[in-house]
Amino acid sequence: MARGESSANPVTQEQILQAEQFQPMWKIIFTQFVEHKAAVLGLVVILFYIVIATGAGAIQWATGLNPEQQNPLARYKKPFSTTVAASDQREDVLTLFQNQHSEAALNLVRELKQQTLVSAEGTEAGLAEWASKDPADWADLKAKLSPVAQATVTELTQSLQTFHIFGTDELGRDVFIRLIYGTRVSMGVGVMVALASAILGLLIGAIAGYKGGLIDTALMRITDALLSLPTIPIMILFAAVDLDKVPGARALISNQNENVLKLVFILIIFSWMPVARLVRGSVLSLREREFILAAQTMGATDTTILLRHLFPNVIAPLLVSVTLGVGNAILSEAALSYLGLGIQPPVPSWGNMLFNATELINEAPFLAIIPGLNILAVVMSFNYLGDGLQDAIDPKAVRR
Amino acid sequence: MTTFVVRRLLQTVMMLALLSYFCFTLMTLMPGDPVELMVQSNPKIRAEDVARLRALYGLDQPSYIRYFNWAKTIGSGDLGYSRTYRIPVSELMGPRLMNTFILSIASLILSLAVAIPLGVFTALRAGTKWDYIINFFAFAGISVPSFWLGIILIIVFSVQMGWFPAGGTITAGIEGTGFWTELLDRAKYLILPTLALAYMEVGTFLRFTRSAMLEAMRGDYIRTAKAKGLSRKATVWGHGFRNALLNLITIVTLSFSTVFSGALITETLFSYQGVGKLVYDSTIGNDFNVAMVSFMISVAMVLIFNLIADILYGFVDPRISYT
Repeated sequence: MARGESSANPVTQEQILQAEQFQPMWKIIFTQFVEHKAAVLGLVVILFYIVIATGAGAIQWATGLNPEQQNPLARYKKPFSTTVAASDQREDVLTLFQNQHSEAALNLVRELKQQTLVSAEGTEAGLAEWASKDPADWADLKAKLSPVAQATVTELTQSLQTFHIFGTDELGRDVFIRLIYGTRVSMGVGVMVALASAILGLLIGAIAGYKGGLIDTALMRITDALLSLPTIPIMILFAAVDLDKVPGARALISNQNENVLKLVFILIIFSWMPVARLVRGSVLSLREREFILAAQTMGATDTTILLRHLFPNVIAPLLVSVTLGVGNAILSEAALSYLGLGIQPPVPSWGNMLFNATELINEAPFLAIIPGLNILAVVMSFNYLGDGLQDAIDPKAVRR
Repeated sequence: MTTFVVRRLLQTVMMLALLSYFCFTLMTLMPGDPVELMVQSNPKIRAEDVARLRALYGLDQPSYIRYFNWAKTIGSGDLGYSRTYRIPVSELMGPRLMNTFILSIASLILSLAVAIPLGVFTALRAGTKWDYIINFFAFAGISVPSFWLGIILIIVFSVQMGWFPAGGTITAGIEGTGFWTELLDRAKYLILPTLALAYMEVGTFLRFTRSAMLEAMRGDYIRTAKAKGLSRKATVWGHGFRNALLNLITIVTLSFSTVFSGALITETLFSYQGVGKLVYDSTIGNDFNVAMVSFMISVAMVLIFNLIADILYGFVDPRISYT
């Protein structure tokens, strides 16, 4: 026990000076937060995923992978495998190669013709014939060529082949780049839902707590009722609704990102309740304090009291609630997308990457394992972060 | 006490009525009503026939009138007919409810049996290595997507080891071969879904037991008990745990709804023939009679369990009076 040890040692002058020093609130919280190692680690993991999510475009550019590029010949490839571009994509690759290295390509085809390895006329046709040969023979054939041509062939092979660090999915798409884009979608949904439901919960809780009476009773009845319902079945009902049949919905939501916005909306409806209860509780106790009375005597309106005096006092617990909310929202998104009712392909999310994963669980278990591990890592980090923040801001919390 | 129970009962009934109206409206907004499905299977159908069919089934009326018609039929004891399974809904529900009930109760008991001792253990040894390790697994429990855990269990125990079946409720054709063989067979199918569902709950219960125990063990009555010279066992379980129990019951009560939510996902993953899977399948398959009834019954079940737990509060904590 830390307390026991410190009392055993004599207190030094330095420690007394340190204890007497004035510390701003955020510094105290920060010092206490840093003590919670797991929470700090969680924060690091979250920052890592945020960097990935925002840098998805850069990663796509750097690796040259396309999240929607299908390859029917390379379905369910194992992690760390290399695939050759499908025949319909080869032409583009070859044209690009020819444009970039026209001189080398010309020389290569000339030499290939001399060796009678290809018979077609012209550079483009020659390259196409080379590419259509069995990739397994490339190495043997390459050995017959001159060193310069060999270098060109190596480069050509590289541009025709794709390396899949996490393998490929049921349509031959690269799992790695889909995971990267899935991070953006899943974390985006999580953060959006948590923030929006915090704002909604803040408003409802504050109004209920401050106004009291009939409004309070009505709002809290709704909150309790929603809390006692099994959310997944109800979310399924919501998610199955056809937006074309809802009057006015089309004006608000465009076809393009329909299912993402619908999902966010559904998740918000079922995640504001804990925040509302929390805020109502703190407002109920704050309302009786002198500074509110002072504001009222000075003629402040209800809006001013709520916004200027009550909200700043509930921000700290709210922060914890939002952090935990992100984790829960990511879990719910994954569950609904897994059931096929959340985010729809081709937009990748961690949840819908698992949707098809169970079909070939025998041959391609990694397809099911990898996205789930990401969900677990992120949600766990958010939960630890929330726990750490809770300990840091709560002066009554038990110190570890 | 009686007024409390009556008031809560009335509240529950009112909530169910509101919810049924709400869900009925949602279902009218789903794609593919019965006539649309008929039209799909018969391309030669004429527009006036569609209109006639809609009028015949009352689908041209506004949703609130359709709701009252539906409620009237339900009230007369006719639950309707399932389009997918081709049997009356009332015949469908019984075994499904039983299966979900078995799954939920089994996982609830298992999770409590694991979480309570571990929670008390970590609370008594707060700050030690064991506390951190067990806490880590508790955090993993509340953070893991239950369906993913199920997938992992299938990969390990079903695909790799081949110990348990990957999905289903009972081996086809085993019914009637004897009570014990049937029971054993069911148990084999039950193990993986129960584990997947229970782990999620273990995380929540463990963390709450731990914090409730920490709180309780700081109480003055613990010092008194120790000073009286009571054994450690009596202090911890008789005084500490007894006081932590109330918080725990609140959490178990609140978790009924999460258990059912989790059961839906787990049942779908393991193709376990429970109500959760029925709600999902019928909603996806536009089997509205089944969807409405199975949804309402499952929600009613959750609410009734909440009610029972509320009443049980009084027995655990005599300080609570129902006024």
